[in-house]
Amino acid sequence: MSKVVYWVSLSFAFFFLAAPLLIVLPLAFNDSSFLTYPMEGFTFRWFGVFFDTPPWLSSLANSFKVALGTTLAALLIGGLAAMGVMLLGRWGRIVMSALFVSPLVIPSVVLGVAMAYAFGRAGWGGGYLSLVFAHTILAAPLVFLAVTTSLMGLDPELDRAAASMGASRWRRFHTVTLPLAMPGFATGALFAFITSFDEVVVALFLSTPQTQTLPITLFSSLRDRLEPTIVVVALLLSIVSCLFILALNRLQRRGAGR
Amino acid sequence: MTSLEIRKIDKFYGVHQALFDVSLSIGKGEFVTLLGPSGSGKTTLLKILAGFETVSGGEITLDGRNITELKPEARNFGLVFQGYALFPHMTVRENIAYPLKVRRMPRDAVATRVREMLDLVQLARFIDRKPSELSGGQQQRVALARALAFRPDVLLLDEPMSALDKKLRVDLQEELRQIHQTLGTTFINVTHDQEEAMHMSDRIAVMNHGRIEQFDTAFALYRHPGARFVAEFIGKSNIFPGELTREDGGSAIFRAEGMEMRLDAGSRTPGAADLMVRPEDVLLGTAPAAGRVNLPAEVLGSTYSGDRALYALKLASGRALSAYGAARSGVHPEGAQVFASFSPEDATLIG
Repeated sequence: MSKVVYWVSLSFAFFFLAAPLLIVLPLAFNDSSFLTYPMEGFTFRWFGVFFDTPPWLSSLANSFKVALGTTLAALLIGGLAAMGVMLLGRWGRIVMSALFVSPLVIPSVVLGVAMAYAFGRAGWGGGYLSLVFAHTILAAPLVFLAVTTSLMGLDPELDRAAASMGASRWRRFHTVTLPLAMPGFATGALFAFITSFDEVVVALFLSTPQTQTLPITLFSSLRDRLEPTIVVVALLLSIVSCLFILALNRLQRRGAGR
Repeated sequence: MTSLEIRKIDKFYGVHQALFDVSLSIGKGEFVTLLGPSGSGKTTLLKILAGFETVSGGEITLDGRNITELKPEARNFGLVFQGYALFPHMTVRENIAYPLKVRRMPRDAVATRVREMLDLVQLARFIDRKPSELSGGQQQRVALARALAFRPDVLLLDEPMSALDKKLRVDLQEELRQIHQTLGTTFINVTHDQEEAMHMSDRIAVMNHGRIEQFDTAFALYRHPGARFVAEFIGKSNIFPGELTREDGGSAIFRAEGMEMRLDAGSRTPGAADLMVRPEDVLLGTAPAAGRVNLPAEVLGSTYSGDRALYALKLASGRALSAYGAARSGVHPEGAQVFASFSPEDATLIG
């Protein structure tokens, strides 16, 4: 029985998740300007197009800028929130955790509209700052959850031991708590980066041609001119995601190894 | 010359009172154990001494200095935890150096002290290992070295052996005892293991329901328990409830079901009293023994352990009695009728 379930879920995962990707990815090397099989020849031409034609590279750079800014801001906000919440009592912890996690359950369309309106009113709509700000709201809960999880796993006696040896609260925090919660921060940072890097909905509302991120460029060129460059972008994004998953995996294994 | 003075400590958790009027005077360099069953308040008292819990009433002084309100980090007390509490991201060296770096000790002095402490616990070759690469016993010794590295005024041990197996426990007890003699630091150990308490401590405070029942040497606790709880908690005991009366001449007579004896009752006032007899003070024979209190009994069963046998007996009154018997020439069979006897000098009045 469990074997049947295993194979059924495996084949579903393959046909609905992996297969569409695997079918489309080889077209990045297709020597034709149409996204069709059979392939007409092997070429790196479309990679050249990606690196030479204007909106692509600049939007990749935009994505990186926004994602890095988001990662930093989310680490700061989510991390501080997680550490603050750990110091609260039971009920305070429940209420504050729910508040900090709440952006995850708000539909991003609603957030997008709200922010486009609010930032427009404030006069800094469309800039990097507005994108970073909006993405931080989406990413901070992920950092919060990752850091909370690793702080909860800490033995409270470690802090007491450090206190008994004369270490002040601040010293205990940065010599014991922080290093041991590091895997949580790293996991949170990765999640924050990915969240921002391939976020479409909110960016659609907020970005201007100058701050257009890669997913938005991808989205609009899907409508304007369907050519293999899109697949090149898809391939590059997939590789970035795979690298991140590998990194996460390593982090988890290091955490478990202790 | 008292070093640590605990005076009239009360501790409330809401309406629940965990400690009642606890007072102890602990001398400098003494090895004291707080012994009691779970829920007796021994761990609460230790946490109060460490500064992790506040008191509801009373005070603690160290060499005359009031430390009741002092934060844990300002007390200069070493602490060894049940779960070792070594820092997993630091090596053995870094763990032991931690309290020294906190105290801004110069680098070479730190290195020397770390070596010194590792030699003390015989773990010098593990200096660059991570705690996860050590066995439980080794980790606890590193924890001990770390807690002693900064020469604390008092070392507090919170059930340090309970996570270790029996053999290791005995070794570590011996080692702790030696380290205590070498350093002369005041040790306060918490345990529910009476054997551990008796092996290591100069004095033992027996705790029950948030109170100190008795604070004395292992010998005094065993031979002259001040309370029924102490008699029953420490070692095996037979307790006979009865009555003490005084004759005109002043000599005391104790009467219980099926027995009557003259004994030295000191200045004890007549009235209801319990008499305690340790099982090793009871002799078993097939005939009454002269000059002793004889009780006819039936053997219910015995546990043979080579050097001796522990008998479960039933007295004529229906009470149970336990007695150790020499087992050199075999044990008394089940159902045998014997005479259990003890000398009044070996019996102790309690309560």
